Amino acid sequence: MSASSSATPSAAQVRSLFRSLQRVARNFPDYNIREYVKRRTVDAFRENATLSDPSSISSAFSHGESQLALLKRQALVYSLYTPSLRSVMELQQPPF
Amino acid sequence: MASVSATSLSFQPSLKLSTRTSQACYKTIVCVGWSRKSLPSLRSSRFRICAVQAQPETVQKVCDIVRKQLALPPESELTPDTKFSALGADSLDTVEIVMGLEEEFGITVEEDGSQNISTVQEAADLIEKLVQDKTAPS
Repeated sequence: MSASSSATPSAAQVRSLFRSLQRVARNFPDYNIREYVKRRTVDAFRENATLSDPSSISSAFSHGESQLALLKRQALVYSLYTPSLRSVMELQQPPF
Repeated sequence: MASVSATSLSFQPSLKLSTRTSQACYKTIVCVGWSRKSLPSLRSSRFRICAVQAQPETVQKVCDIVRKQLALPPESELTPDTKFSALGADSLDTVEIVMGLEEEFGITVEEDGSQNISTVQEAADLIEKLVQDKTAPS
């Protein structure tokens, strides 16, 4: 694990983390998890958007990075056990 | 080109046909929200005659995504040159819009490419280029 820099992450790094989190959401075969990850990242980043204290910014950033690593692992595990029956929300046309 | 604009001013469904036959000249479609019937597929009657790279359908789709992402009311004006920041979007919104465009068009936007997108037109041009790059080497 790379040592988290003590310097405050730049805005570009924060945006890059946001994109990575949104991208990893696509790897989940489960519709619910995908939508939740997208919602949760948006909520968390908006909530922390007004932070100004450098230490809290870096702690939030490192929290996000650890969550990203977790999501990558879990996406792999979930994809091993994909159910054959997908969620009804993913049906292209309504059943009736 | 002036004659083309005259034929496209009517609000009838035949408007769609007239724009299709004149696809050869790419027109910037002004995404005005007050089109008489609020059908997303109905081309707006007002447009500027200038040659641009992006197709009207692409610009229209980008407009729809931006509108949905920023929760804009239908009557707000959204031209291809409107800056996202003018619509009240911060950088997070811009990233979300780019992600939405990636999913819609099945493309992958590079990190530095997404930094420069600030208007609808730039997004549509980038999408066009990426779609062409994707289909060309096949």
